[in-house]
Amino acid sequence: MYNYLFIGLLLFLAGLVGSILVKNVIKVLISIEFMLLGVNINFVTFASYCDNVVFNGCIMALFYVGIGAVELAVALYIFYLMFRKKENDNIEKYSDL
Amino acid sequence: MINNPVIFYTASVLIIIFALLSLFAKNVICSLLSAIGVFLLGALFFYILGSEYNAIIQAAIYGLAVPVIIGVSIMFTQGGKYERTKSYVMPYITAMCAGIFVLAFVYLVMMSLVMTPDTFNIMENSQISVFDNLSAFAHGIFVNYVWAFELVSLLLTIIIAGLSMFNGRRNV
Repeated sequence: MYNYLFIGLLLFLAGLVGSILVKNVIKVLISIEFMLLGVNINFVTFASYCDNVVFNGCIMALFYVGIGAVELAVALYIFYLMFRKKENDNIEKYSDL
Repeated sequence: MINNPVIFYTASVLIIIFALLSLFAKNVICSLLSAIGVFLLGALFFYILGSEYNAIIQAAIYGLAVPVIIGVSIMFTQGGKYERTKSYVMPYITAMCAGIFVLAFVYLVMMSLVMTPDTFNIMENSQISVFDNLSAFAHGIFVNYVWAFELVSLLLTIIIAGLSMFNGRRNV
C-alpha cells in the first residue's frame, strides 16, 4: 500500500515542481493534471486497501477525472483566447490575467 | 488486484521518467507524448490496484481525449514552429529505442508472472471480483452520491453552455 502512496506523492510533487518552475502554459496545465493523477492514485489505493465494500475513493477519483478533463479544456480555451492577443506561450506574459 | 513487484517497480520508474521528461523537454510535442505515457501508466496503476473501471475511464479520457485537446491547442498556438527542424535519422533511432524498451517491458512482465512472491503486499486481506467492484461503483454513483453526480453533470453542462455563449458573443 505504501508503495502506491509514495508513487502518488512523487507524481504530486513532480506536478507541483512543474507548475512552479516551468514557463510554458501548456506544460503548466499538464503539470496540474499530474497532480490530479497523483491524488487519484492515492484515492484508489485507499479504496482498494481500506474499503473493500463501498469504494468511495474510486468514485471520488471518477469525479476528479471528469472535472480535471473539463478544467483542462476550459483552461486551454482561455489560453487560446489570450494567445491570440499576446502571441506568446510564456506564462510570465500573462500576469495581467 | 495484481500483486506483482516487477510490474509495479517498472511502471513506477517509467511513470517518474515520463513525468520528468514531460516537464523538462524543450519540445512541447515531446512533452505531450511523455504526458500520454504518464496518463496510460496511471491507468495501469488503477488496473493493478483492482479498479478496472477507473483504469478504463483514465485511459479513455486522459490517454485519448485530453491529448487530442492539448494537441489541437499546440497546433493552434505553435503551428509551424517545428517545421524547420527536420531530421531523417532521429525517428528511426527513437522507434528502435522504443521497440527495445517495449520488448524489455514485455519480457519483464512475462518473467514476473512466473515468479510472484506472496509477501509483496502484506496488508491485502481479501480478493474482490470484477462484478463486486462494478456493482459497488454503480451503487455508489447512483445511490450514495447521486446528488454529487447530478451536480457534476449540471456543472459540466453550464461550462459547455457558457463556453458556447462566450464564443458566439465573440463572433458577433
